[in-house]
Amino acid sequence: MCGIAGIVRADEGEAVEERALLRMARAIRHRGPDGFGLLLDPGAGLVSTRLSIVDLEHGWQPLVAAGDDSVLVYNGEVYNHPELREWLRSRGVVFRTRSDTEVVHALLEYEGPAGLDRLNGQFALAWWQPRRRRLTLVRDRFGVRPLSFSFREDGTIVFGSETKALFASNEVRPEVDLAGLDQVFTLWAPQAPRTVFAGVDQLEPGGLLVWERGEVIERRRWWRAGPDQEDPVEDLEALMRDSVGLRLRADVPVGAYLSGGLDSSVISALAQVEKAGELRTFSVAFDDPTYDERAEQELVARALGTSHHVVEADAAAIAAAFPDVIRHAETPLVRTAPVPLYLLAREVHDHDLKVVVTGEGADELFWGYDLFKEVAIRSRHRDDPERAMELLGELYPHLGGSAARRGPGWARFLLAAGAGGDSLASHMTRVDATASVRAFYRDDIAAGLSVDAALEPIRDGLPEGFSELDELERAAWLEVTTLLEPYLLAAQGDRVAMAHGVEGRYPFLDHRVYARSVALPESEKLTDTSDKVALRRLAGKLLPKSISTRRKQPYRAPEVVPFFAPGAPGWVEEALAPAALEEVGIWDPRRVEGLLRRCRSGRANGVREGMALIGILSTQVWHEMFFGGEGEQPAETAVPAVRIDRTVDQSMSEVS
Amino acid sequence: MSAAADGDENVRTEMRAFIEDNFLYLDPEADLADDQDLLAAGIVDSLGFVEIVEEVEARYSVGVQDVEITEENFGSVDAIARYVERKRAGS
Repeated sequence: MCGIAGIVRADEGEAVEERALLRMARAIRHRGPDGFGLLLDPGAGLVSTRLSIVDLEHGWQPLVAAGDDSVLVYNGEVYNHPELREWLRSRGVVFRTRSDTEVVHALLEYEGPAGLDRLNGQFALAWWQPRRRRLTLVRDRFGVRPLSFSFREDGTIVFGSETKALFASNEVRPEVDLAGLDQVFTLWAPQAPRTVFAGVDQLEPGGLLVWERGEVIERRRWWRAGPDQEDPVEDLEALMRDSVGLRLRADVPVGAYLSGGLDSSVISALAQVEKAGELRTFSVAFDDPTYDERAEQELVARALGTSHHVVEADAAAIAAAFPDVIRHAETPLVRTAPVPLYLLAREVHDHDLKVVVTGEGADELFWGYDLFKEVAIRSRHRDDPERAMELLGELYPHLGGSAARRGPGWARFLLAAGAGGDSLASHMTRVDATASVRAFYRDDIAAGLSVDAALEPIRDGLPEGFSELDELERAAWLEVTTLLEPYLLAAQGDRVAMAHGVEGRYPFLDHRVYARSVALPESEKLTDTSDKVALRRLAGKLLPKSISTRRKQPYRAPEVVPFFAPGAPGWVEEALAPAALEEVGIWDPRRVEGLLRRCRSGRANGVREGMALIGILSTQVWHEMFFGGEGEQPAETAVPAVRIDRTVDQSMSEVS
Repeated sequence: MSAAADGDENVRTEMRAFIEDNFLYLDPEADLADDQDLLAAGIVDSLGFVEIVEEVEARYSVGVQDVEITEENFGSVDAIARYVERKRAGS
């Protein structure tokens, strides 16, 4: 729930304008459409926009601690707040509300950041301690909730759930970060702390930053994905039941996304038991059968007896929503896959739901992606390339034809990627395919960038013990940290859901479930004949066999057709016209023209060309949106529900 | 000049144009040599390679067997011209 933002100056004598805070609140109002609150201190201001989910009456922010003057603005959910409340109460803490915000605040007051380990949830928060002029920023373990910030030359720190709040403050001006963009065209998304805006950082997943009087005094990860987890040594089924149960805690109804695949079906099945048969499920369907899973979705919905809703993502709807998806993602993309999820969240919102549980994370934790199978085939059949090719051919039946039919380049591409003992070997096929987008750069842009440089932060940030892991374990860690956290949970997760005030909750990303998955032996994840072994066993108890044994269909959306089919919106050709490309100055118009020729003639059917088109088009849209307006800022928003002004007489006034 | 040699040159010209239009647009100034190794030079990727095979099948009405999809037959403009010539000769 919610969005947060703020401005804190190094010196309390430098005022923060209330108007700036109002503009920041307006910029992230979609995250919290139920109202907003603000607090003004000498040289500091905090805002929170609210999506009311827990303690609808009293959960307003900013929250000022009882008996102290520290303040919390907090975006997210801590699911185990009732247990933590009891634990704190038994230690003498007195609570005024039922909200999880107050529990988090009390825990921070009681234990400081050491208490973060007790939290089970997804959150981004800013804890302001005015007497020390200290601001602590924290992000949840996997970075489900976003948080970006910028340091100004005078020592001011400006932060917000989304970068548009930083720009709305007028303290931070948008500037392109070419290295951040280059990570999008290498790894699908900028890798924290980098963003696609120069001078703007995102806090790392599991990150903690402590700022005091203009200086960063501490910056570290309080949690990190990796081999070193505390295994709960508990049955996976019990853990999953508990995780789903915790994520259904809310004072509003909770629905579920249902893709038709194994993971969301397991979550829906467990949720339906908890909800005693009242679960509502939501699915995306496609008019193009290549992407559609409608039949499987309906099968699961019928089997579970959910009230089921389907939204169809046809080509026209994808093209129409694309610019708004870029506005919310705040970054160029190489895939259209976030767009149908944006349409789905809109459908959920239109059905008056604010919260959904979803299946994200299972493919990373239990090795469901084809990428893991590729790694397994390469490593298990290294001495028998022919057999390896045969298995790789079976792995990608949707590409059509036998492996032999796909020619010698295919073999070389897939087999070569595993060679050489490179730490990132498992991911080099994806990197190579994605990096082909970079061939469309203007020469002067390309001259300053390299794939090696884009990958360097990943190589430098490998966790301790990485080299001792086997190839599949390495691949799993890379998948979580280079794709799940920076892309799937961001552009394809939080951003497109919160665009409509919908909160996604991820039972597989409970840190205990993650720890259990890390501890499970390989045979419980991926064998020669099955994937997600432990999860399929659980699914076998809950779902029809055709679902529990179903092979994964990669989630994708059409890329070229929405923008080149008859009736495609006129802005597409305008955005890609040579003059528009020249103006933005990143892509070479002559090179792009060749791609457009192939798109128009229907020949651009490859993954690389699809990524190139979406990469180029989204860059153009993104650039116009963030750099094209003449200093266009959101209007200052209406009256806050809570307004606390401590700049004059330290008194507090609550408007509502 | 024999009919076969004429055909050979046509295939060369047509396939060169096809490859330039569809795969060399990223490097408009580059000259494509007829003996240039298309895969090794990075001019086409594996999908592009399949596209060339499909183009040859459609344009010259030849049936390409899976075992014939090799660099020897499709790896360069020259190789494609030789392959089409052989297929037309009925081998």
